[in-house]
Amino acid sequence: MTTAAQRKKAMQEAGYNTFLLKSEDVYIDLLTDSGTSAMSDRQWAGMMMGDEAYAGSRNFYHLEEVVKDVYGYKYLIPTHQGRGAENILSKILIKKGDIIPGNMYFTTTRLHQELAGGKFEDIIIDEAHDPENEFAFKGNVDLNKLEKLIKKHGAKKIPYVSIATSVNMAGGQPISMQNLKAIRALTKKHGIRIIHDMTRVAENAFFIQQKEKGQGHKTVKQLVKEICSYTDGATMSAKKDALVNIGGFLAVNEWDVFEEARNMVVVYEGLHTYGGLAGRDMEAMAIGIGESVSDDHIRARVGQVIYLGEKMIEYDVPIVKPIGGHGIFVDAKKFLPHIPQTQYPAQTLAAEIYLDSGVRTMERGVVSAGRKANGENYFPKLELVRFTIPRRVYTQAHMDVIAESAARVFERRKKILGMKMVYEPKYLRFFQARFAKL
Amino acid sequence: MDSFHPHDKNHFYRAAGTAILHYVYLEKYHQAALLSFTAPFPLSSHPHYSHYHHHCMKTIIEPFRIKSVEPIYFNTAEARQLILEKAFYNPFLIHSDDVLIDLLTDSGTSAMSSNQWAGIMQGDESYAGSPSFFRFEKAIKDITGLPLVIPTHQGRASEKILFSIMGGKGKYFVSNTLFDTTRANIEFSGAEGVDMICEEGRYPTVPAPFKGNMDTVALQKFIDEKGAEHIPLCILTVTNNSGGGQPVSMQNIREVHAICKAHAIPLFIDACRFAENAWFIKLREPGYADTPVPEIVRELFSYADGCTMSAKKDAFANIGGFLAMHNEQLAQQCRNLLVITEGFPTYGGLAGRDLEAIAIGLHEVMDEHYLQYRIRSIEYLTNKLIAAGVPVMQPAGGHAVYLDAKGFLPHIPVDQYPGQALVGALYVHGGIRGVEIGSLMFGKYDEQHQLVPAALELVRLAIPRRVYTQSHIDYVSEVIIEVFNKRNEIEGLTILEESPILRHFTVKLSPIKK
Repeated sequence: MTTAAQRKKAMQEAGYNTFLLKSEDVYIDLLTDSGTSAMSDRQWAGMMMGDEAYAGSRNFYHLEEVVKDVYGYKYLIPTHQGRGAENILSKILIKKGDIIPGNMYFTTTRLHQELAGGKFEDIIIDEAHDPENEFAFKGNVDLNKLEKLIKKHGAKKIPYVSIATSVNMAGGQPISMQNLKAIRALTKKHGIRIIHDMTRVAENAFFIQQKEKGQGHKTVKQLVKEICSYTDGATMSAKKDALVNIGGFLAVNEWDVFEEARNMVVVYEGLHTYGGLAGRDMEAMAIGIGESVSDDHIRARVGQVIYLGEKMIEYDVPIVKPIGGHGIFVDAKKFLPHIPQTQYPAQTLAAEIYLDSGVRTMERGVVSAGRKANGENYFPKLELVRFTIPRRVYTQAHMDVIAESAARVFERRKKILGMKMVYEPKYLRFFQARFAKL
Repeated sequence: MDSFHPHDKNHFYRAAGTAILHYVYLEKYHQAALLSFTAPFPLSSHPHYSHYHHHCMKTIIEPFRIKSVEPIYFNTAEARQLILEKAFYNPFLIHSDDVLIDLLTDSGTSAMSSNQWAGIMQGDESYAGSPSFFRFEKAIKDITGLPLVIPTHQGRASEKILFSIMGGKGKYFVSNTLFDTTRANIEFSGAEGVDMICEEGRYPTVPAPFKGNMDTVALQKFIDEKGAEHIPLCILTVTNNSGGGQPVSMQNIREVHAICKAHAIPLFIDACRFAENAWFIKLREPGYADTPVPEIVRELFSYADGCTMSAKKDAFANIGGFLAMHNEQLAQQCRNLLVITEGFPTYGGLAGRDLEAIAIGLHEVMDEHYLQYRIRSIEYLTNKLIAAGVPVMQPAGGHAVYLDAKGFLPHIPVDQYPGQALVGALYVHGGIRGVEIGSLMFGKYDEQHQLVPAALELVRLAIPRRVYTQSHIDYVSEVIIEVFNKRNEIEGLTILEESPILRHFTVKLSPIKK
C-alpha cells in the first residue's frame, strides 16, 4: 500500500500515464485483463510438464488437439502473443489498398492492418458508440454498412471481415449468434473470409447464453464452437480467455494460408511447433482453454464484473451499459464534462483514480485512438477509462474498494483539470506517452 | 553398448592433459592439421591449475544434482525407420517423444535450476512496471554494464527490431560471421551482410584457439573502400555459431572496437553464448587465467555499444531474449517498434516469470565450475570421435559437435544431401536427433534449377545445457562410431516437396535406392 504523497510522486514520475507506473506502486491493478490471470493448479502442473524440444514438442500436439476440439479450427500456428498472430495474418492476407471491415477497431489489430497497407473500416452498429444505449448486443455488425462497403470497393478488395467477439473498445460488448449467421451468409455470397478476433470468445458466448433468444439451453462450450464455425480463421491472444500469462495463436481452415503462415512464423516468432513460446506455456494454454469454456468459471467471471458495475451505478458513476464481460468502462466525457477531448479527459480520470486509491486503470479514448495516416488525431466517440478485471485474481472485497474509489473521485470531479501531451511516440502512443497537468 | 566405468581410459571428465589444448601457430594453417591437437601436458603445467584444480579430483563432475527428471522413450531401430519414413526424412517433422537424445539445438532446451524455478513462481505478471522486469534489467546492467535494456520474446525479435531501424538499401553490416537468422533479418531490410572471418577460421579441421576472430585487416580495408557512412553496425558473434561455436579473443574484440571507434561505427555483440566465449578467453588467452569470468564478461561488453541476446542459450531460459545498449535515442526507437510486434517495454512479449528466470540464469552461467564442465563435455565427445577417425570440426567449440558429412559419406554427392542422410542414419541407429547445416539448409538453385551447394556439409549435434550426463554422451559417441563403421550402407536423398523459403523446416525427402 502507498500513501497519497507517494502516489503523487509516482504519478508525476510516470508522466501521468498509468502504463508507466511501477506495479509495486499499484494497490489493485486493473490496467488490463491480458496476461494477468491466475493459473489453476492444473495449469501449474502442466507448466512442470513442458517439453522444450525445438521441434515436435508434445505440448504442441496437445494444444493443436485442444484447439481443434474446442474451437474447431483445422490448422494451428502458435505465437508468443496475439499481436504476433495479427502481424503474420495481416502480412499474408492484406495487399496495399485493401479494405478491412470490422466491428470497431482495436489498437494493435488496426495498426497491423495499416502497416500491411490496408485500411480499416468500422461496420459496428451505431448503438455501440452510445455509452448509454442498453442494447444487449452492441458488438453486432451493421449489415447495411458492410454491404455498402462491398458494393463500393468490390469483394476483391476485401481480403476478410474482421470480427471480434466481446468488442473490447466498445466496452466488452458481445455480438449475437444471429448477427454472426447473417454476416456469414452475406460474406459467403461474396466469397469473403471472416477472421475472428477471438480473445474473449467465451465471455461473448456467455452473454449469448444469457441474453439471446433460443440459445439459453446450450453450454458455453457448445456456443463457442458454434461461433467459431461461422468464421474461417482466428487470431487469439490466449492471455485473456485462455487464462495464461503469455501466448497466442493463429488458426485457419485454409491449407494455403496455413502453409504461408508456417513459413512466416519462423522469421518473426519461432519454428511452427513452438512459435516463440516455451513448451510449458503451450501446455498451460491447452489446459486453460479447456477451463475457459466451463459454465461455472464464466458465470463467476462475468458475475464479478457485473457486481462491480452495479456498485458503480449505485454511486451514480457514469459507465458504459450494458455491463461488458471483462471490465467496467467509465464514461469520462460524462464524468468530466468540463474537460474537452483535446485535454484528454479519460487519461486525466485514470490518473485521478490512481491518486485516490492506488487502483490502476487504463485510458481507452483519444490517446489510444492515435493518429490517422495523414497525421490528424482520431477523435473517437467513446472516451473511456477501463477498469479491467483480471481473471480469478481479486475478490469481492477488492471490488468494493474499487467502486468506493470511483465514487470518491466522482464527488470531487469539478475540481479536476485536464492535461497536455508532452511526449508522443510514433506507434501505439498510449503505451509510452507522457503528460503534464494543465 | 559398453557400460560406464570410472576407470575407463576415455573417462569423460578426467581432466588430464587432454583437456588442455596445445596450439602451434603457423603461417600456413593447412600445415597445422599435421600437428598434434592434444599434446599431453601434465595437469599442473596449466596456467591456472592452482586456481580451480587444487582441491579437485581428476574427475570433473556435473556441478549439480538432479531434482526432477523427464522420461525419455525407447524405440527399436525398426520402429524409428518407420517414424523417419513417415517424417519424410526430415528431423523437424519427428515428434519429440520419438527422439531418445535430442541434439537438434542448444536453444531453449536447457534445464533450469531450482533457483530459476523458484523465480518462475515469483513472476509478477503485471502488464506494465513489473518488479520482475526491474530485476531482469538490473541483472543485465550489472553483468554487461549496458544501461538500457529491452526484453523480447526471443533473440530473433531483438535482431528484427534493431535491423529495421539501422538497416536499409545500400548499407553494409560487417561481422566475424553473421548467424543465418541474423543475416536473413539484415537482408530483409535491404542491407547487405558481410562476413570477415579470420584466416584460421576458414579451415574446419585445423585447430587454433580463436577461430571466431574477425579479420581486422579486411575490416579496415572494407571501411576504406565503402566509407564508414554506409556501415551502420559491426556485429561480433560470440561464440561464432555458424563457424562451429569458435570463440573470439579479447585482443580481437579490442582491435575491432578501436577500428570501429575511429570511424564512429557502433559495435554490437551477438551475445547468445557470451559466457562460453569468456571461458575460452580464460583458458586460452594470455593474461586472463586468473581473471574471474564476470570480470572477463564485463570487459568484453565494455568494448560494445550494445548487444542482442537470445536468452535461450547462455541464460538457461526456455524462452526469452533482449537488446541492451548505451544510446538513449536508439533505445527509444527500439521501444517504439517493440510495442507493435512484441509487447510493452517492461515485458517485451515475455511472462514476468520468464524475466525472473533469465535474470537468475545470467548469473548462474558465469559459474566457473559450470563452464568447465560445459566446455569439457563438448571437448570430450569431440576427442572420442577424433580418436575413432570420425571427421569432425576442430577444435571442439562451445556448444556443439559438428560432423563433416562430406568426409563421413564421400560416396554421397552434395546434391543427394549427405548431411541430411547422416542425420537420418543417426536417428534410425540410435534415436539421436541432429540437424543438417549444409546444402539442404543453405543451398540455392541457379537459373537452370541446378543446386548451388553450401561451402560445407555439416551435421550439428548441439548439446543442451545441464540436460544430459556422461553416459548419454558416451552413448552418442558409440552410436556415431557404429554408424561410421557401416557408413557405406547409407543412401543419399532426393527432395519430393519443398517450400521456397527456409525449406529445411518442412521439406519432404526420400532415399535414392542403390
